[in-house]
Amino acid sequence: MKIKAGIFSNTTGKLRQSVILALGIIVASQSVAGPREQAKRIHDRIAGVPPSAAVLDQMEAEIQAGNPENAAAIAMDNDGFYDVTLKNLAAPWTNEAMSSFVALNDYSATVIGLVRDDRDFRELLYDDVVYIGNASLGLTPYSNSDNDHYEELEGIGVSLQDNLVRQAQSSVNGLPSDATAGIMTSRAAAQAFFSAGTNRAMFRFTLLNHLCNDLEQVNDTSRAPDRIRQDVSRSPGGDSRTFLNSCVGCHAGMDPLAQAFAYYDYEYDADADPEGLFGQMVYNTIGTADPETGTRVQGKYHINATTFEHGFVTPNDEWENYWRAGQNAVLGWDEGLPGSGEGAKSMGMELAHSEAFAQCQVKKVFKNVCLREPMSSADQSEFASMVANFKGANYNLKQVFSDSAVYCKGP
Amino acid sequence: MMYPITTSKRKQYQAQSQTGEGAMKVSQHSIFKFMAVAFTALLVACGSGQENLDNPNTGSGGTSENYSGPAPISADVQNFKLNFWDNLVSDQRCGTCHNTGGQSPTFVREDDINLAYTAANTIVDLDDPANSAIVSKVGGGHNCWLGSDSACADTITSYIERWAGGAGGAQKEVVLRAPEIKDPGATKAFPESSAEFASTIYPLLSNYCSDCHVEGQQTPYLGSEDIDVSYAAAQSRIDLEVASSSRLVQRLRTEFHNCWYNGDCTTSSAEMQTAIENFSSTISVEELDPELVTSKALSLIDDGIAANTGGRFEDNVIALYEFKTGEGNVAYDTSGIEPALNLTLNGNVDWVGGWGIRVGSAYTDEDTMLNIANGKAQGSTSASRKLYDQLTATGEYTIEAWVVPNNVTQEDARIVSYSGSATSRNFALSQTLYNYQILHRSSTSDQNEPFSTADADERLQATLQHVVVTYTPADGRRIYVNGEFTEDADPDEGGLLNDWDNSFAFVLGNETDSNSLWQGTLRMVAIHSRALNEEQIEQNYSVGVGEKFFLLFSVSHLIDVEDAFVVFEVSQFDSYSYLFTTPFFTSLSEDITLDNIPVEGIKIGINGKEATVGQAYKNLSTTLNDTDYVDGRQTLADIGTIILLELGPDDDEFFLSFERIGNYENVVVEAAPPAPVSPVDDTPVADIGLKTFDEINITMSALTGIDKTETAIDNTYRTIRQQLPSVETIDGFLSAHQMAVTQLAIQYCNALVEDSSLRATYFPGFNFGASAETAFDTPAERDLVINPLLSNMVGSNLDSQPEDTAIESELNDLMDILTSCSGACDADRTETVVKATCAAVLGSAATLVQ
Repeated sequence: MKIKAGIFSNTTGKLRQSVILALGIIVASQSVAGPREQAKRIHDRIAGVPPSAAVLDQMEAEIQAGNPENAAAIAMDNDGFYDVTLKNLAAPWTNEAMSSFVALNDYSATVIGLVRDDRDFRELLYDDVVYIGNASLGLTPYSNSDNDHYEELEGIGVSLQDNLVRQAQSSVNGLPSDATAGIMTSRAAAQAFFSAGTNRAMFRFTLLNHLCNDLEQVNDTSRAPDRIRQDVSRSPGGDSRTFLNSCVGCHAGMDPLAQAFAYYDYEYDADADPEGLFGQMVYNTIGTADPETGTRVQGKYHINATTFEHGFVTPNDEWENYWRAGQNAVLGWDEGLPGSGEGAKSMGMELAHSEAFAQCQVKKVFKNVCLREPMSSADQSEFASMVANFKGANYNLKQVFSDSAVYCKGP
Repeated sequence: MMYPITTSKRKQYQAQSQTGEGAMKVSQHSIFKFMAVAFTALLVACGSGQENLDNPNTGSGGTSENYSGPAPISADVQNFKLNFWDNLVSDQRCGTCHNTGGQSPTFVREDDINLAYTAANTIVDLDDPANSAIVSKVGGGHNCWLGSDSACADTITSYIERWAGGAGGAQKEVVLRAPEIKDPGATKAFPESSAEFASTIYPLLSNYCSDCHVEGQQTPYLGSEDIDVSYAAAQSRIDLEVASSSRLVQRLRTEFHNCWYNGDCTTSSAEMQTAIENFSSTISVEELDPELVTSKALSLIDDGIAANTGGRFEDNVIALYEFKTGEGNVAYDTSGIEPALNLTLNGNVDWVGGWGIRVGSAYTDEDTMLNIANGKAQGSTSASRKLYDQLTATGEYTIEAWVVPNNVTQEDARIVSYSGSATSRNFALSQTLYNYQILHRSSTSDQNEPFSTADADERLQATLQHVVVTYTPADGRRIYVNGEFTEDADPDEGGLLNDWDNSFAFVLGNETDSNSLWQGTLRMVAIHSRALNEEQIEQNYSVGVGEKFFLLFSVSHLIDVEDAFVVFEVSQFDSYSYLFTTPFFTSLSEDITLDNIPVEGIKIGINGKEATVGQAYKNLSTTLNDTDYVDGRQTLADIGTIILLELGPDDDEFFLSFERIGNYENVVVEAAPPAPVSPVDDTPVADIGLKTFDEINITMSALTGIDKTETAIDNTYRTIRQQLPSVETIDGFLSAHQMAVTQLAIQYCNALVEDSSLRATYFPGFNFGASAETAFDTPAERDLVINPLLSNMVGSNLDSQPEDTAIESELNDLMDILTSCSGACDADRTETVVKATCAAVLGSAATLVQ
């Protein structure tokens, strides 16, 4: 395109004026909104795009008929709900920087697929599931060592609603079925949270993204520190008060839970590929002996063993949830589960079946749709209802989008 | 590590556990002990009326030049003379009293070295030099010639070790003895009701902590509106015995955490301390919780059995600093190699509990307003010459240290240095970030060119580490961390130390000019005149550092086993905590039967209450049984934990409590935490927000009908994607966002207008072939452009959108400007005007706001 620079300058200036003017007009117009305006907002918030005139009419009619949830359902039929809203809701969960500017990947695709298929959203953390692009698209097949499949799928701009296909994750990435744990064993999550380090990142970010609690919020120094690994200094900088007042509060609960990931790692060439773009997740199956530990436990679980030699030496992937007692009992653990187990799958279920998981999903969707967190007593009351509805709808996340959009549809 | 506690040795004691009296041991050890008692009596007689004066440091022991008696009759007598007698014979040490014709035992008599040898044998234990009577006597204050009794004791221990055949790493046995039996003391306990808390401490927490420490924000919820929630959170941060030790006080006083009174932490912390003292004063001292099932009680210093087994390889040590003194301004060289290279502590250097010194940075003392310089511990150049003499003689050396770096951010920070200035040295061990570095002067190495551990390995961590540097002409410099060779190869070939300078000074924690401060803790430093081999380094690492004790917690009153104890190895971990490790069960009786006695949930108690943090054994569950009871012990756990220090190792009293042991049970069911209160209403925020990047893109695509994957569109979008809004917050809208929106809008509108088919459909009736002067010269013509834009992009009958007339007015103004070409518009100006008009709507709030 070739347009003279001078014209562009004027045009830009006018654009800015137009936006500023329109903003003022819109704010002034809020008090006179009705079903039609509510319908547009519901569509905008759910799908990220304005509705067509026909859809707007249809949604307006539903609202006028007292069925705003039907209007929300119409908005959720729009591809934008899957291609943009859900994808960008999930994107920050898939990387440590929590950036939205990342490509579609098996983690975010699985989030989209589970919502599209009205699945129990708790399966996200423990099911043997992954969503891939439809074979008819002719994409580069799913690979354990790159993200090309999803980048192509996103790049061609097809509807994810129509082109995501549910697969058994174990059949795609080769993990034993009982070693799959939803998105925690996706390639994207492994690249982000199993690469280097000690695998605690996988736990921390799952806690952060799906229970809406960072470690600071669950810090409880009264738990037994018997499972804190050797690599944690008990006297950082020569001052053990730091450990006793701070570090122990997170590690005492986190380390025995993160033990569930003891057999996983993410291998990549740190020199040629420092971000691990072409690395792949590895898992020590039964009978495998890690050269550094002599057991199935990955070597990273035994690193820096001399930092505190009296610390815990991880022998297997048996996890235990110490946070079922103490202040973190308020996270609402499922009393039908034992609170301990082996491997990532059962630990994922432990997290997903908590009250905090349900609340977190509602909180995220509420913010996504209402553009704020619940902040008034009315919001809190509605929030509690939404959590109940979410559970009542067998943890179908669409229910939460519907409830949020209806609640925040405007006056 | 496991220490040798052989059954046979241990059984030589007959414990009198219930009376608390230690048992006696027969055999050679007893003979030594008997003689030691006799010697002690004699020494007392000798010292009668004498004060324990600090004799002048002669800098050297005696010499052999004045000996003219009979020759040593054996090699052992010769060793005695060289290593023991020569060092103590001078008048400034033991020669004044214990010489020929002097007070018995005359172990430094000058007339006959063989008789002196006989006398000395009555006061030394060659199997366990540290346990020698002479060491105990001098260590107890008897005419120590140094400023520190323990330094004298350690120095004499070194003499005896050398006499005994070197300190070649023999481990001694530790013999367990029954401690005095005493019950855990009384203490204060937190009342169930928060009423007193509410009137004393809570007002401060509510006033000053509630901005952050409330539900929904940051734990602990000290400032919660619910007093019970605040009370529950505060308990683990309140020390009812020593209010000043409370976390609530320390956080203000030493960590300067959000103090009030305009950041006056002294006053803030004092106010908090007073509040805690007031709260504590309302609580009466109570006997130990009667529900607890407890062991008997012990204190570390009075009841602990020394667990240090020796075993360090120190055959060639020429300077040794264990920092045992704990006070004063001298760190003594207790290597026993004369002259002692004692170090003077200058500037910001503190003693650390459990043996050590902490070196810190310069500061101004707020009370005295004195400027305290960067810390260091430095020896005199004359005494430091010992290093020059010894190391240039061998041509090799070892620097060995137990260190705790304060951080991993300091650079070029000297840990151990033998130098003359910032740029001249014989050697220096430094820290730079995560690396240990060694600077070294030799015929093949530049003294200012550091040899470092590899960056990627991050060998140095801000925790207790054992670091060793060896140098030999054959292998050059080698660095070992925690007993392991780092595999870093010295880039220089091995060389000679001929160029060393004998006028340099030995210094710890800094450079001699005080400008290369290392911040951290030194727990031990040793210089050896030979390079330790890997086995010796591993050996010294495994021995560890610091004073260790066995604490034998009596449980015979809980189970039907005589002289039964749960034993922990305990040491002071640093200035703030104790380390409890490797608990095991034992009985001092020989014939016992363990009939699957259950032991569950062990908690460590301190000063009459269970420690709130660090209970690593509370999940323990096992049974005492004959199968696992091997060689007189049954290991209960192989992990360790740290427990917060309260009153110090002299005064803290420990006990164990059990959830279950034998037939006793105290199962603790934790109360459910109080339900969090609902957060208060927050300030309302805007009901509307911005569309974000992908939403803007698909919105523009939908409103123009242009596929977002078109190459030009896609390229522009990829370029400006991260410049578009990424969050919905409407008041976060920036001019940079607007620029990106504009670029994308113009790209979409360009694609729309450039496609003759699409534009004909989108703008039906508009004549794109007309010139700019004529295409827009009537309202009807302009409506052919404006109306489609309004209907497609703004929508119809939406009160939440800008009014059509307002938009039309803006767009007409825009068209007026763009068509004012004075008759010289370019041929494509008509299309340009439509594109610009399109972009003005597409990139406006009408489409950007949701």
